[in-house]
Amino acid sequence: MNDNDHDVLTAVQDSISALPMPKAPRLEAVTARGRARRRHRLTGVSAVAAGACAALVVGLAGGGGPGSPASPGSQHGAPAIHLAAFSVVSGPRGMTTLILYPGQVANPNAVRQALAQHGIAALVTANSFCHTKEHPAPPGQVILPYRALPPGAGKAPPAIRINPAAMPAGSKISIGYRQDRAARQISATVIKAGAFLICTSILSTENAVHTFHPVPAR
Amino acid sequence: MSHERAEFAEFFEASWEPCLKAVVASTGSVQLAEDQLAEAFARAWMSWRKLRRHPAPRAWVVRTALNTGASWWRRRIRELPLADDDAAPPRNAVPRNAVEGADDGVDASLLTALRRLPSRQREVIALRAFLDLDIETIAAHLGIAPATVRVHLSRAVAALRQELSPSQLTETD
Repeated sequence: MNDNDHDVLTAVQDSISALPMPKAPRLEAVTARGRARRRHRLTGVSAVAAGACAALVVGLAGGGGPGSPASPGSQHGAPAIHLAAFSVVSGPRGMTTLILYPGQVANPNAVRQALAQHGIAALVTANSFCHTKEHPAPPGQVILPYRALPPGAGKAPPAIRINPAAMPAGSKISIGYRQDRAARQISATVIKAGAFLICTSILSTENAVHTFHPVPAR
Repeated sequence: MSHERAEFAEFFEASWEPCLKAVVASTGSVQLAEDQLAEAFARAWMSWRKLRRHPAPRAWVVRTALNTGASWWRRRIRELPLADDDAAPPRNAVPRNAVEGADDGVDASLLTALRRLPSRQREVIALRAFLDLDIETIAAHLGIAPATVRVHLSRAVAALRQELSPSQLTETD
């Protein structure tokens, strides 16, 4: 670098340094995220191996082929999505499970797109929650609380199960969640697509139409 | 294991801020940079046994963060948006774009000019300005010739200089 470059680079440094920068996350959150990635990767490898074995068994049994029914988990042909911040998995009876991992920053748009891949139209917001005046369906018919860990296995991450088949035409799921590291909460309801949205801060959960807390409730 | 963890903790504490600034300079968004960098440090922890011997581990983290963002955009481009997209942003939402959210004292024109640079030039500027890497190390890290790095740096500096008023340029003599 020559002196002529130095003044410009210093100006760039000053400009970036003047921006309000977030503090570093806790080291534990970073290492936990690394462990989660490793665990998801291993889970993915196991799932692929299990899937290959299952396909082989089906093939040997004379099943498969164009006329055979699709497995429940492949209703939309969408693979399970396991990211450090969240998972979206289609399970038995066409139910789709969304799990948010505490201590991670989940991009609402990424969550929305992951759900869209599983055939669920959703409005996803972080730190706020939106609903419409009209409710196309009772939330309890479409959205169910879910415990992502077996009982006794510790505090489960916040999770919900969605039944896309129960969603009326022209409806969406509205999902709001708290993004801060301490809180663990998902709010969800069914909304009418294209209708006027009423959004509130997720911190005032008494305004939420249908709120799910992690199980067991704190 | 505890020794490795202590070593990584030291690296993390010392590197977060300069790496964040480098990624912000490359992406133009503080929020995006924070998320990508958290992911990059998580990967760094996963690969710490190898990374601790890396000649420029901070540069590895920055590049991993930028690659994470590139992967996200590639996925986004492949996906079709829904017909009626998201609602209005939450109240009191922090602006996603650092340039748009620039406060007083921040040279928005310079940041805008930075964002207009080709990605490779931005990356070279970020590695040079915030990680203080020399030309040879940047070249080795990016897998390009040192002369190419000099060209990128020279063009980027020339483009940025046009946005700077004479008073913003410090005396270097």
